[in-house]
Amino acid sequence: MVLLTVVVLQDHAYGVEIKRELEARLNESLSVGSIQSALKRMEEKGFLTSEFGEATQKRGGKRKRIYDATPYAHKVLEEMKDVRAQLWASIPGIVTN
Amino acid sequence: MPEPNTSTPPRWSLKLLRLFIRKDFVEEVEGDMEEIFWEEVENFGIKKARKRYNWQMVKLLRPALTHNIFNSQKLNYYGMFKHNILVAFRSFMRYKPAFLINLLGLSVGLASSLLIYLWVASELNVDRFHEDGERRYQLITNSHTSNGILTNRATPALLAETLIAEFPEVEKAVFQSWNSTNTLSHGEKNLKASGHYASKDFFNVFSYTLLQGDKNEVLNDNSAILISDQLALNLFGTTTDVVGKTIEFQYFRTLRVSGVFEKPPKSSSHQFDFIINEEEFKVLNSWALNWKNNGPFTFIMLAEGTDPDVFNAKIRDFVSTHGGSESTTLLAVPFESLYLYGTFVNGEPTPGRIKNVRLFSIVALFILSIACINFMNLATARVSRRLKEIGVKKAVGATRRALAGQFLTESLLMTFIALLLAVFMVEAALPYFSNIIGKELSFGLNTGVGLKLIGLAVMIGLLAGSYPALYLSRFQPVKIFRGKSPSSWREVWLRKGLVIFQFTLSIVLIVSVLVVYKQVEYAQTQDIGFNKDNILYFESEGKIELNQEAFLEEVRKVPGVQMASTSAHSLVEGGYNGLTFNIEWTGKDPETEVGMEWMRINYDLIEMLEFDIVTGRSFSKDLKSDYGKVIFNEEAIAAMGLEDPVGAKVKVRGRDSQIVGVVKDFHFKTFHEQVGPAFFELIPDDTWLIMARIDAINQSETIVKLQELYTDFNPGFSFDYKFLEDDYMAQYASEQRVATLARYFAIMAMFISCLGLLGLAAFNVERRTKEIGIRKILGSSARGIVQLLSSHFAKMVLVAIVLAIPISYFISSSWLQGFAYRISLEWWFFALSAGAAMLVAMATVCIQTLHAAHINPVESLRNE
Repeated sequence: MVLLTVVVLQDHAYGVEIKRELEARLNESLSVGSIQSALKRMEEKGFLTSEFGEATQKRGGKRKRIYDATPYAHKVLEEMKDVRAQLWASIPGIVTN
Repeated sequence: MPEPNTSTPPRWSLKLLRLFIRKDFVEEVEGDMEEIFWEEVENFGIKKARKRYNWQMVKLLRPALTHNIFNSQKLNYYGMFKHNILVAFRSFMRYKPAFLINLLGLSVGLASSLLIYLWVASELNVDRFHEDGERRYQLITNSHTSNGILTNRATPALLAETLIAEFPEVEKAVFQSWNSTNTLSHGEKNLKASGHYASKDFFNVFSYTLLQGDKNEVLNDNSAILISDQLALNLFGTTTDVVGKTIEFQYFRTLRVSGVFEKPPKSSSHQFDFIINEEEFKVLNSWALNWKNNGPFTFIMLAEGTDPDVFNAKIRDFVSTHGGSESTTLLAVPFESLYLYGTFVNGEPTPGRIKNVRLFSIVALFILSIACINFMNLATARVSRRLKEIGVKKAVGATRRALAGQFLTESLLMTFIALLLAVFMVEAALPYFSNIIGKELSFGLNTGVGLKLIGLAVMIGLLAGSYPALYLSRFQPVKIFRGKSPSSWREVWLRKGLVIFQFTLSIVLIVSVLVVYKQVEYAQTQDIGFNKDNILYFESEGKIELNQEAFLEEVRKVPGVQMASTSAHSLVEGGYNGLTFNIEWTGKDPETEVGMEWMRINYDLIEMLEFDIVTGRSFSKDLKSDYGKVIFNEEAIAAMGLEDPVGAKVKVRGRDSQIVGVVKDFHFKTFHEQVGPAFFELIPDDTWLIMARIDAINQSETIVKLQELYTDFNPGFSFDYKFLEDDYMAQYASEQRVATLARYFAIMAMFISCLGLLGLAAFNVERRTKEIGIRKILGSSARGIVQLLSSHFAKMVLVAIVLAIPISYFISSSWLQGFAYRISLEWWFFALSAGAAMLVAMATVCIQTLHAAHINPVESLRNE
């Protein structure tokens, strides 16, 4: 989900923005720690790359880290979407609906 | 906008973040947090924002974001560990003398403290093996007299059964008589064993193991006797199928074995080999059934949830309301604590044996800390030798943590080797140590003890290694290679302080040893008012008891026997004593009660023991009317306030009597106590200790002849004699034990301190080799160099002496306070101890410096 949000947010994908977006969509509050640890883990696995963005007054002079999904991540997301779609398609009740 | 000083994120959680979050994430995460913070300040206000900020921060602490607390990168721990151990061994091998000194000091220190620990643990363990220990109480009686409150563990014999009948909270109650040694026989076989009478619930109140018999029934039968497995083995040759067999008791009564119990464990303060049904006791000692007399001991089990204070308030006057003495109060004391807190002052239990336990625990800690200090000292002193090693390591990229790890590994390795050595030392020394303390100790290496030991070693290793580890790893390689000496004034002072501390402790220990030794010697050589030398005594029993006078006549005829007489009082503490308040004289204030030591004796005893008659005369055989008359000591006469004592009429235990003389005060108790009032009463029929003064030469021949006479007269009984002098010495056994132990531990402390000094001196000499060489070339004499090198060690020892004198003065004078008759603290005790410490210290240092002073300067200056 975090990965998808990164893709959605494009150039604005940094910690707080991802958190905000997800909170809005899921309608529940998330901690910085949960977002950050997910980001770090995905970066380690090669789904994300990151670079420092601009620093703002609001951030006390600290730079943002802008995340970007790698092509590999796009591919994995596609695959997952397919798998999900197939799974959904195989639920008999839904098909008859 | 909120005020600027409160509008920042909480500082402490920021610190937390910087401390724990991985370095490369800090900036980003901190920024994120701050951005959210400001947003929340606008939405919820500063207070809530700060609170939420803190909470978020705690949630940040998860493994993906925090750095590894051990190392930021994953290292091959095994490889590093292997390397550390290798390096440690290499450094041990390279600096062999330093290593050996360190190892020896540490293992001796560990072994000493281990030995003390074993003893302390066994002392704390006494009487703890009984089940439900917290509910078991012993009853004691306090007599409020004009001599103060006298505490007695003996109680009226009926106390147990009356208590259980009247108080529902007393679950079980049992009485037990004092231990006595008796002859038991079965068929041809006879032997002496000690044991006592006990009432029916004995094995229900105490958790001694019954091997045969049911604990509810074994003491029901009037002729029942229970014997220990050991006694069964000695008497019957087997421990099985002995129930139902008969035993002749003192060739006087036939008893039937109703059970066999396991000999009480060493951790039991009660030791006995047989238990006999109570009936016989009540018949033989009908006086104990009177509530005015105290005889056997009483133990109770209180019901669960009973408040001992409430119970004690209820039983306080129990004895006096049942017809006992008005001045007697009753107190229930937890049985478990009696062994350690069994000294009574003003009727309250106070620390007794626990004092020595505490004392030696402190000594153990001292010795251990001296050993640890040595270790630290020598390790830091070795710094200069290993500076290059540290420098190179740092230069090639060793982190400070890795270096500290290396030194800690080294010190841990050292402690483990030392511990291993110490365990061997303890094993070797244990028999001797057990001998000194008069208590069998065992060193069972089970997992529990093993884990404790390993824990101890780790603790010491970390403690002793921490200073050098942290200190050595701090150096900057640049400084090291530039050749700047890293020893700061702080380090020098620390090292000096540690040496001073060690020597202060050693001197205090030496002074204590001297004082204890002198006091014990004083107590044993001082004139005690009678001549105790070469007095042999034994109890009369069997046929001798029936025909004592005739036997005494025979004893007098034995060559080598100078005089013989009998007594009912053993004249030293801990033997047969008797205190009576039942004395009346003309002019006595009926309100006061004076307790006097009551000594029943035979003719000739006063002459044989060479008591000094001050006025009047001794008992005379020529005057048959002397029977039942008394001789008081000066203290008793003073207490009674009699002007003209000789010939005065007195009433002793309800009988009319007359004073025939006054004897000079003599010590019938230890030097801890003032000599109290005492009197001799001439009642030959009531005496049962046969005493004889024998020649100082050929004593063994005389004893053999006495033995033959005894066996002729009294077949079936064995001849057990003692010397009065030994009994007298035994009164100070615990002091002597303290003295002997303190002596050994003082030697240990001194030895370890000197090892440390030796190491430091060696280090000092080595560092100044070149200086010494140059001085020699410029014409300094060997003596001058020795002086130069030794003087600052001498100064340290001097400071230690100055510190130690007031401390040891305080300690030894407070110890001497416990004696009514004591030595005064002479100046030379301190001078001698200080001198000894100084001498040993200087000798140690000189071994090193003399050697250094005689090195040819060419040798020391060649390499530059």
